[in-house]
Amino acid sequence: MTRQEAEILLKRIFKLPTFYDEQWQTIEHILNGERVLLIEKTGFGKSLCFQFPATVFKGTTVIFSPLIALMRDQIKKLQSLGIAAKCINSEQSIEENAQIISDAKSGKIKILYIAPERQENSEWIEATQQMDLSMIVVDEAHCISVWGHDFRPSFQRIINLVKLLPKGMPVLATTATATKRVENDIAAQIGEGITIIRGNLLRNNFKLFVVKVNSEDEKLIWLGKNIEKLSDRTGGTGILYTGTRVDTEIYSKWFNYLNISSTSYNAGLDTDSRVAIENGLMSNQWKCIISTNALGMGIDKSDIRFIIHTQIPQSPIHYYQEIGRAGRDGKPAYIILFYNPNEDRKLPEAFIEGGRPTIRKYEKVINVVKTGLFGEREIIKQTNLKSNEFRVIKADLIEQKIVRESIYGKTKKYEFIPDSQALNTKTFEELRAAKIADLEKMIEYVETDDSRMKFLCDYLGDNSNHIFTNCDNTSEKKIQVVVTEEWSEKLQDFRENYFPELVVETRGSNMVNGVAASYYGVSNVGNAIHRSKYEKCGDFPDFLLKLALKAFRKNFDNELFDLILYVPPTKSGNLVKNFAEKLSNFLKIPISHGLQKTRETSEQKIFENTYNKSENVKDAFIYTKPNDIVGKKILLFDDICDSKATIKEIGKYLTNLGAEKIVPIVIAKTVGGDIV
Amino acid sequence: MNRETAYWMALEHEWICSNAIGNGKIDKMNMVIRFLHEKKISMTDFFQLSNDEWKNEFEITDEQIIKLEQVKKSVPNYAFLAETLQSNGIEVIPIVSSEYSKTLKENLKKSAPLILYIKGNKQIMQENSIAIVGSRDASDIALQFTDNIAKRASKEWKVVISGFAKGVDKQSLDSSIAYKGQSIIVLPQGIMTFESGFKTYYKQIIDGDVLVLSTYHPKAGWAKELAMARNAIIYGLAKEIYAAESKPSKNRQGKETKGGTYAGVMDGLKKGRTIYVRKPDYAEQNDNNLLINSGAIPVDFNGNIAPVIYGSDNDALPMVSEPSINKKNFPEIIKDILLDYKYGLTTQDILKKISSDWKPDKLTKELGKLPFIEKIKKNNKNYFILKDMEPQTLFNYNESLY
Repeated sequence: MTRQEAEILLKRIFKLPTFYDEQWQTIEHILNGERVLLIEKTGFGKSLCFQFPATVFKGTTVIFSPLIALMRDQIKKLQSLGIAAKCINSEQSIEENAQIISDAKSGKIKILYIAPERQENSEWIEATQQMDLSMIVVDEAHCISVWGHDFRPSFQRIINLVKLLPKGMPVLATTATATKRVENDIAAQIGEGITIIRGNLLRNNFKLFVVKVNSEDEKLIWLGKNIEKLSDRTGGTGILYTGTRVDTEIYSKWFNYLNISSTSYNAGLDTDSRVAIENGLMSNQWKCIISTNALGMGIDKSDIRFIIHTQIPQSPIHYYQEIGRAGRDGKPAYIILFYNPNEDRKLPEAFIEGGRPTIRKYEKVINVVKTGLFGEREIIKQTNLKSNEFRVIKADLIEQKIVRESIYGKTKKYEFIPDSQALNTKTFEELRAAKIADLEKMIEYVETDDSRMKFLCDYLGDNSNHIFTNCDNTSEKKIQVVVTEEWSEKLQDFRENYFPELVVETRGSNMVNGVAASYYGVSNVGNAIHRSKYEKCGDFPDFLLKLALKAFRKNFDNELFDLILYVPPTKSGNLVKNFAEKLSNFLKIPISHGLQKTRETSEQKIFENTYNKSENVKDAFIYTKPNDIVGKKILLFDDICDSKATIKEIGKYLTNLGAEKIVPIVIAKTVGGDIV
Repeated sequence: MNRETAYWMALEHEWICSNAIGNGKIDKMNMVIRFLHEKKISMTDFFQLSNDEWKNEFEITDEQIIKLEQVKKSVPNYAFLAETLQSNGIEVIPIVSSEYSKTLKENLKKSAPLILYIKGNKQIMQENSIAIVGSRDASDIALQFTDNIAKRASKEWKVVISGFAKGVDKQSLDSSIAYKGQSIIVLPQGIMTFESGFKTYYKQIIDGDVLVLSTYHPKAGWAKELAMARNAIIYGLAKEIYAAESKPSKNRQGKETKGGTYAGVMDGLKKGRTIYVRKPDYAEQNDNNLLINSGAIPVDFNGNIAPVIYGSDNDALPMVSEPSINKKNFPEIIKDILLDYKYGLTTQDILKKISSDWKPDKLTKELGKLPFIEKIKKNNKNYFILKDMEPQTLFNYNESLY
């Protein structure tokens, strides 16, 4: 097919006039049955490079994409053009997916998007046996590479698949962000005779700023003051990226307090909420969405007008990827990065350092899989590892071909691979060194006096000679943070009235979400609790009581309770009991001492994962006069809430005894990694 | 696994063998030998060729081209399946691989499967091996014999081949494991349907003591036909074959048959394999003596070759050699021999197979008189072939390929 012929089809099917040169170059190779790696910036039109040939081919094109939001988005567009496109993903019902699989088998689907994890599903593999397959696409191909910013173990199987595909079967891998090293890695993995097509990466419409601050307060205040203005000035909406989920919550509550139209998003939300927020983003429902970096990848919104980071990402490539979501329409977009030189290195450093468990823990896992065939849960229980530690270890051991993840029925089991090499820790050190070097580069970006765009392009291997004038080091004015007394007071008031929610609602339990007086590590609360519990400094101090009463009143002031119960302690004597008595006294709710332990439990903090924590407290509680509970509304108190396993167990127990409602209240809620 | 794996799988499972005796299989093997061995062209390159090239350069018939096109079309589908196998630790070993069992190749020749699906220590396919076969409802004495043979195998570092059926098969595997020996489980089903077995034998597999092997489509469920066909693989994988007990059994229609062991041993004997059969006690109700009388070698309870005692036991006749040939039984004997050799035999070949003092010239002359026999010339030699068998291929089989 000539370009001219193709463009006639392009007009007819996609309603587009012409291809860009690089698009046509890619498509030509694909139509020839070749393999291509295409590196182009976000918004270039990479999708057309597989969507167009997919409509020309007779059979079905399969696109492996890790991003459900992107799938949804592209399918909507393709369907509006009358192209039979569908996706299979975990957010659709089983029946829906089954129907799509059946349509794919009978050749009714031209373009099929699936998540790489689907390769583990036997119904899907069954379907692939009957489909007429014409092309395979690996979207977000940087996920293949451990040297990339978003390595995903599930892509390993896609690479294995690509290696097994016959000659003449076109394969397209696409990414917007790949350094030279990642590019080489992808090309080597996809293999033999691959053509690499790389476009330029500069984004001239970006206005890049770095704001150096001395505290978290300065960030909150500047944003409180300016975010609405920014939205009004640009006439659009934007995204505020925070480093952690807790920060997402805090910034979101801060904006609520200031009546700024915003909402928060993170990967832990349920599907419906996520879809609702994504839709709201598309229709500019809020001035700003506060999110972890889970939002935005693959969302095809061309007019995101600003992207602000309250934390430096781990590397310039993470940063480029995240800001790449702004201003795809070519109109100006504000890109602002906050950096507190005293504090902000810690978080990315913790990600890098904490990302890899100790070698001893790797050995523990290897020893367990050598003794028998177990699933994740069983291994976590036997090794007493944290779930996320196990996942890191598992991914590394699979990558090093020491352990294999096999599917038995619907469950995954981990097999030891006989005669495998010993654990290679050298790779870990290399990776760590590379990540530290990347972080240094990110800090260099903050500190540079030269063009910031050029810095990013150079880093990504696009050595353009373009003269950039689009940052606060070139022609834009620098942003200064001015803290006024009025704003300091506002922030203080906010902090004193902000209480974290305890999300504990589960099916089959009458326990509802409760409240914590504070986060454990964010203020002096954690220290105060620690002193009383472990340094024999007497009862919990009164400021904690005030805080707890305030938290209660703010959330449950209008509710009537029949009883206060408290969690019987494992070690710390009467601290919790005494505190509960004080609460009872102030709130005028009768206290009961009837909740007791049926057996000795261990301190929850020695268990690293939810499985072991839940097991530790399972059926461990009893209420001496069960009839007193029937139909009662109960306030349940404990000092610290970590995994919530204890509170949930008691909630379940009291529900079974006939309690009408149980509300938990604690002094402090921990955040992942707090040392209690 | 590599890019050719999916081609091998597609070739094995999508090339539909049209006639019942599986002659298509031999055609397929001949084709593979032709392009891989004679023309030295890779699997990938072979499938890149046009129909004309297939036809002109590889003498592939129109009917075969249809089959090849079906194979080619399904390769991407098999790539998906191959990836699933790979991720579950299952390997696909093609016949051209040095990892393929040499014993199997030598024994089955062109009937050897194109690929083996395996999981476990594949090295044990290259070791000395024995198969202990026998009835599903074997007697205690047969099971004890099986245990003895497995114990001895373990001592002598021989691998035990087990068909994973009830009775003798299961006993041979259990004993082999108990004596810390090595075993190959030959499945009567596709390898992906053996999940529970992989769980049960996890430890033995990772310790390198068990290899699981199947020659069927990975997703094929258990079927009687597959179980019967699997016997050929068990015999083929073994250097030595011991039969513990052959008992009659009833088929689905309730009719009594000689059973799988009997059929398997007889087939093995016909193909010239040496098979040891446990010499039964007088009171035993089984067909072991029948097998011994058909040419199997009797062995005692410990597997030692048993001296044949002539005496009052009428069942325990001495090993009977094949009846001496005479003009009367000649046609039947020749027909019987040639049925197994569809590519024909030379006079010398036939002479070796019959018990006779005839000279080659006489045999050639007598063969020429038989109406159902055809003489064809190949490599300057005369071959005798049954007339109603498939025509000879032009290909000259060369065993050194493997």
